[in-house]
Amino acid sequence: MADLAAPPVLSTPDDHILTAEPPLPAAQKSTLSADVLSRIYEIPRTIDSLVAGGYKRIALQFPDTQLPDAPAVSTALSEQLPPDAKVHILADTSYSACCVDEVAAEHVEAEVVVHYGRACLSPTSRLPVIYVYTAQELDLPDAVNKFESEFPDKAAKVIVMADLTYHHHVAPLVESLKEKGYTGIQPTEVVRDPNGLIPNRSIPLDLTADDLRTYSLFHVSDPPTSVLLALSSRFASLHVLSAQSSTVENPTMRTAGLLRRRFARVLSLASSGVIGILVNTLSIANSVSSIDNLRRKIADAGKKSYTVVVGRLNPAKLANFAEVEGWVVVGCWEGGLVEEDSGYWRPVITPFEMEVALMKEEDRIWGGEWWGGIEKLSLAKEPKEEKLEVREDDAADVHDADEGVEGEESMPPEYDLRTGKLVSHSRPMRLAVRDSPDVKTKSGDSEALIRRAAPGEVVSINGVASPGAEFLRSGRTWQGLGSDFQENNEASTVVEEGRRGVARGYVVGEGEKH
Amino acid sequence: MVNFTVDEVRALMDKPTNVRNMSVIAHVDHGKSTLTDSLLSKAGIISTAKAGDARATDTRADEQERGITIKSTAISLYHNLEDEEDIKDIVGQKTDGREFLINLIDSPGHVDFSSEVTAALRVTDGALVVVDTVEGVCVQTETVLRQALGERIKPVVVINKVDRALLELQVSKEDLYQSFSRTIESVNVVISTYFDKSLGDVQVYPDRGTIAFGSGLHGWAFTIRQFAVKYAKKFGVDKNKMMERLWGDNYFNPHTKKWTKNGTHEGKQLERAFCQFILDPIFKIFAAVMNFKNDEINTLLEKLQLKLSTEDRQKEGKQLLKVVLRTFIPAADALLEMMILHLPSPVTAQKYRAETLYEGPMDDEAAIGIRDCDPKAPLMLYVSKMVPTSDKGRFYAFGRVFSGTVKSGIKVRIQGPNYTPGKKDDLFIKAIQRTVLMMGGKVDPIDDMPAGNIVGLVGIDQFLLKSGTLTTSETAHNLKVMKFSVSPVVQRSVQVKNAQDLPKLVEGLKRLSKSDPCVLTYTSDSGEHVVAGAGELHLEICLNDLQNDHAAVPLIISDPVVQYRETVAGKSSMTALSKSPNKHNRLYMVAEPMDEELSLAIEAGKVSARDDFKARARVLADDYGWDVTDARKIWCFGPDGQGANLLVDQTKAVQYLNEIKDSVVSGFQWASREGPVAEEPMRSVRFNILDVTLHADAIHRGGGQIIPTARRVLYASMLMADPALLEPVYLVEIQVPENAMGGVYGVLTRRRGHVFNEEQRPGTPLFNIKAYLPVLESFGFNADLRAATSGQAFPQSVFDHWQVLPGGSPLDPTTKTGAIVTEMRKRKGIKENVPGVDNYYDKL
Repeated sequence: MADLAAPPVLSTPDDHILTAEPPLPAAQKSTLSADVLSRIYEIPRTIDSLVAGGYKRIALQFPDTQLPDAPAVSTALSEQLPPDAKVHILADTSYSACCVDEVAAEHVEAEVVVHYGRACLSPTSRLPVIYVYTAQELDLPDAVNKFESEFPDKAAKVIVMADLTYHHHVAPLVESLKEKGYTGIQPTEVVRDPNGLIPNRSIPLDLTADDLRTYSLFHVSDPPTSVLLALSSRFASLHVLSAQSSTVENPTMRTAGLLRRRFARVLSLASSGVIGILVNTLSIANSVSSIDNLRRKIADAGKKSYTVVVGRLNPAKLANFAEVEGWVVVGCWEGGLVEEDSGYWRPVITPFEMEVALMKEEDRIWGGEWWGGIEKLSLAKEPKEEKLEVREDDAADVHDADEGVEGEESMPPEYDLRTGKLVSHSRPMRLAVRDSPDVKTKSGDSEALIRRAAPGEVVSINGVASPGAEFLRSGRTWQGLGSDFQENNEASTVVEEGRRGVARGYVVGEGEKH
Repeated sequence: MVNFTVDEVRALMDKPTNVRNMSVIAHVDHGKSTLTDSLLSKAGIISTAKAGDARATDTRADEQERGITIKSTAISLYHNLEDEEDIKDIVGQKTDGREFLINLIDSPGHVDFSSEVTAALRVTDGALVVVDTVEGVCVQTETVLRQALGERIKPVVVINKVDRALLELQVSKEDLYQSFSRTIESVNVVISTYFDKSLGDVQVYPDRGTIAFGSGLHGWAFTIRQFAVKYAKKFGVDKNKMMERLWGDNYFNPHTKKWTKNGTHEGKQLERAFCQFILDPIFKIFAAVMNFKNDEINTLLEKLQLKLSTEDRQKEGKQLLKVVLRTFIPAADALLEMMILHLPSPVTAQKYRAETLYEGPMDDEAAIGIRDCDPKAPLMLYVSKMVPTSDKGRFYAFGRVFSGTVKSGIKVRIQGPNYTPGKKDDLFIKAIQRTVLMMGGKVDPIDDMPAGNIVGLVGIDQFLLKSGTLTTSETAHNLKVMKFSVSPVVQRSVQVKNAQDLPKLVEGLKRLSKSDPCVLTYTSDSGEHVVAGAGELHLEICLNDLQNDHAAVPLIISDPVVQYRETVAGKSSMTALSKSPNKHNRLYMVAEPMDEELSLAIEAGKVSARDDFKARARVLADDYGWDVTDARKIWCFGPDGQGANLLVDQTKAVQYLNEIKDSVVSGFQWASREGPVAEEPMRSVRFNILDVTLHADAIHRGGGQIIPTARRVLYASMLMADPALLEPVYLVEIQVPENAMGGVYGVLTRRRGHVFNEEQRPGTPLFNIKAYLPVLESFGFNADLRAATSGQAFPQSVFDHWQVLPGGSPLDPTTKTGAIVTEMRKRKGIKENVPGVDNYYDKL
C-alpha cells in the first residue's frame, strides 16, 4: 500500500459546487447536407403520406443518436407542408426508442407520429404511424465477398435478413448473390408481425418451423440481442455481417450461452415469492390486458406481484424496491430485454420467460423457443384447477395422535434449483390463501380468540396477506424512527384531550391551569 | 432365519441401558462390511456359509460390483449374553437383564464418502474401529477416529485380517505380537491426540478387552478376555488377573511353573504368555489344516473340545480352516461381547454428549431430556441423512431419537439447519406418517420408538433437504448441524441431451441432493446445472446415480472443473470511492486480507454471524488480534450471511448510517457472492467502510442509490488491493512400497504437488507420503499414479485448504492465472476481459 502522507480527503469541500463547472456536452449539430438529409430521412415520401392523410398536428420521434438532425428534418418538413400543419419533435422517449411513444405524442395532441430509425414494429393501439427507417450505406460488393467466404458452398440454404436501417440492401444483395451462382438464397420482406416465424419479416417460401431449422441466417448489420436470442433456436446457424467493422461473426455459440444465462434468471424468478411487473410500454396493443394476464398468472402460482412504472429502466430505480425479488418487463419485443443486466440487483426477465418460470417443475422446458415481448402471452388460457399437491399416501391413514405440537400442517417447501436449497417463501400467497377460510370462521366466533400464527405465515394488513409488509417486519433492521403503533394496544387508539393554550399557561380539560 | 422378532426388539428399546448404538468405521478395504457380515450371520440375517463373502450391508448393485461401500447402512441386532458373570463386567453403567439390542451402522471407508461416516457417527455412541493387521493404522483410520472422538464417540478396536499375516506373510508368533502392539500403540497415539476430558480416557488396551483380533473373511475373532475366562477356570485363578497376564511382558515359566515378568530362563528365551496361550492353539490349527495333517487335526479338535458336523469335517484346506476357527472362536461372540461390555448405552453416552449435540442452553427442557435420555421428555430427534425408499423419489428420514418418543401420527416441528428459535424460517409442522426400523436394505414397521434408538421416518422427506431437527417442544433449539470433513470442491456441469428431458433432470438433481449428505447441486449464474462432490470417485458415483436412477435420461456431462474463490493479497492501494447514480451519496471503502485462521474459524462455525456480538468481539480481539471497536462493528458476514468475508463499519459519527445499513449489507452479499474478477465467490476479504456521505433526504439515499453503489465500491476496493484467486488443495496420503516411490514423486512434481512428510511404516517396507496437490491438477491423478507405480501406490485425497493460485495477477490475461480467468469468464458467457477498476471507482 502506498503510504499516505496525510489522511485521505473523505468528503468534497464545501465550495465545490461553486467552483466546479459541470462539463456540458457540446451541442451536436447536424452535418448532413440538405440532399443527404432528404434522402436518408425520406422527406418527400413522408410529405406525401402526411398530405395524403391530411394530418395537421404531426409528431416526429427520433432516437437519441439522431436528435441532432431533428431541427433540420423538422424545418424541411414544415417548409413543404400546408401552413396550418404543426410539427413537433418528441425529445425524450419514455421507454425505448424502438417503440412509438404514443403518450408523448398525445401530449401535443398529435394526429400522427413519424418514427425515425430502428423500430420494433409492435402494433400500436391509438395513433397512425409513419415509419422512416433512415437508410444507411453498405458496401455491397464487399458484403458479397464476405458472404462468399462465409458460405463457400453454392447450394447453401441461407436466409438473408437485415436490420431495418439496412433493409433496402437485402434485395440487391440477394440478386447479386444469385448471379454468383448461389441457389438456396432467400430474401426477407418487412411485415408488421412480431409473432412471425422470423419476427417482423416474411420469407417468400412457405416454410414450416422445422424447414427453417435447416437454413442458416445471414444478417446484415448487428442485430439487437433479443433478435439473436429469438432466432438462435430457429436457424441452423447465425452469421452476422457487422456494418461498422464489416467482418462476419458467428454468434451461434455465444447466443446459446446467453440463452443459458437467461435460464438462470428464470430459475431465480421461479423461486422468488414477490415479483414486480414493470410496465415499460403503454402504446403496444394488448399491453394492458397482458399486464392483467401476468398478474393473474403470478397470483395463481401463489406469488405476490406489484405493478410498477418507472419509465426507462436503470439499476438504481429498480433497487429501490428491496422487497421485490425479481422483475418482469412488459414491453415491446426488442426493448423488453435488459441486455447488460449485471448491474441489476434482482434479475429482470421478459414475459415469455416469466411464463416459463411460473410453470411447474414437471413441465418446465428450456432451450427451444424464446420470445422477447408480450406477443406470445396466451391470453385466453383458463387458469387450471390448482391441485394442492397432497400425495395420496400423505393423506391416507394418518391418525392424529394426541401428543405433538398444535397447528396446521405446513406446505412442503420448494427445491430451489438455482441455489440447491429448500425454500419456503416462494409461494407466500398460497399460505395466505390456505389460511383464509380459517380466518372467516374465526372472526365470526369471538374477537378474543388469538389465532396462533402458523410457521411461515405472512403478515397481513386488513386481512390481506402482504409480503411487502412481511419484508418490512422481518427483512429490514431499520424501520424508521419508530411509531406509536403497537399491536393489540387498545389504549393507543383512544382519543384523549390534550393541552391547549399558550406557553405561559396551558389549559387541560376544563379550566385547570399548569 | 432371523432369530429375533420386531416385538422383541421393541421391548428392548424401552430399556435404553441395554441398547448399544455403534458404527463400524475404518480405512477403505480394512474389512468393515466383511466383519459386519459375521455379526449378521450370528443374528441369522444371512447364512453362516455366506458370511464374509456376501457383504450384506452393501445393498447397492454398484457397491457389490466395485467391492466398496458407498452408503452407510443400518441394521438392528438382538443379542443375549449367555453368562451372568459377563454382566458384572459392564463397568460404569447400569444394565437390565441379559438381552441387548445393538443398532449397528456399517459405513464406507473411502475418503470421498466420509460425509456418510459423519452422518453415521452422529446417531451412534460407540465405534468399532477396524484395523488391518498388515497395513496398520492408515490415513482414513486416523480421520474417522478423529471424527468419532470429536462427536464424543467411544471406540473399541478390532485388528482384522490376522489370517493374512499367517497365510501370506508366514510371520512368527512373536512378530505377530509385536505387530499387534505397534498397531495398538499407533491407535492410542491418535486417540490421545484428540483427548476429550468429558469422554475420559478412551485409549484401548487388549488386557482390558477393548481390542479384538480376528479375521472377518474367515469369521473368527477373539478378545483376551475370552481366553482369560477359559484359562481362569483351568488354572483356577481370577479372570481379571489372567487377562493382565495374557498381554505384555508376562511369561509362564514351564520349568518353575511360575508366572514371571522375566523373559529368560537360564539363558533361554521364554515364550510370551500371549503367544503361548492364545496364538499357539491358533497357529497349530493353521499349521495342521493348511498342511493337511489329518491326525493332528483330530487331536487338536479333541483337545479343544470342538465338534464339527460330518459334512464340515469332510472339507479341506482353507474351507476346513474357516469351519474349525469359526467353531473355536466365533467372531460374532467376541465382537458382540466386546461392544456390549465396553461401549456406552445411550443413557450413559447422552449424559456427556448432550452439550456437544444441542445448540441451546443446557438447562431447557430439551437439553435435560437429551441428557437423561428420557422417553417422556419432549421429542428431540436428529435426522442425519435420507435413505431412498422403494417408492421412487421418496426417502426415509434416518435419525436418532435423543429424547422423547417418536410415534406414527404425531405432529412434529421440523427445524431445518437455518432455523433460529423465535423465527419462522426453515420451520415446518407435519405429522409423521410411519416409523420404521432400518434393517439393512429392508425396513420393518414399528409403532413407536423411545429415546436412544435409531429410526426411519416416513412422510417428512419433503421438508428436509439432507438433515434437520425434529421436536415437539416449541422452545427447542436445533441439534447441532453436522460438520463434514470433506467439502464439495470438484464440480461437473450436466445438461440434458434432449431439451424435453429437462424436468426429469431437475427432479433427478433434487433427489440426488437429498440422497447424499455431501453432494451439492445448483444452477450457476451462467445457467449450467452443477453437481459438486468431494472427489472424482464421489462425483462419478453421484453422476451415475443421476443418469441411471434419479433422472434416468441421457445427459451430457462436462469435464470436471474446480471452484475458485476470489480474495485480495494486500490492502487497497488507496481509499476506494464510489458515488451513487444520483451523485448525492458517496461510499469510501478499503479491502484487506483476513487472517487465514479467522477464515477457518468462520468456516468451521467457531465464529459466526449468530454469535452475540460482544462475545464475538471478545474472541476476535483475544484470538485473532482484532481491535475491539472494529470487532463490535462487524455489519455482516458474506456471502449468504455466513461466509468468510466481513464488512466492518469504521466510520465515525455519520448521520443516517443505520438507515443505509440494510442496503449496504445487500450490496455486500451480492458482491461477495460474485466477485469482480470472475464472478466466483469471495473468501477471506475484510472490507472497512471508512466514511459515508449521504444526502439529507431519505428518498435520495434509498436502496436504489445505495445497493448498486455498495457493490461498486466493494469491487473497486478489491481491484485496488491486489486481487488473487484461491484454488482448493487436496491433502494426499499415499501408501507405497519403497521401490515405487520414485514414480510417486515424479507424478506429484508434474502436477504441482509437493511432499511435506514421508515416513516408513514400522515393520513394513511401506512408506507413507503426505503431499499437497492442487485439486485442479488432481483429475486423473489416481490413474496416473497407478501407471507410474504399476499399481502399488494407494492415494487418498481430501480437501485441505485454499491457496493462492500462483502465476501472476488474475487481471493480466497474459499470465497463467489471467488465462484461467479468461477461460472461466468465457465459460460463464461474460465479457472475457476483467472490467477495470475505472468501472467502479469514481473520482471525487
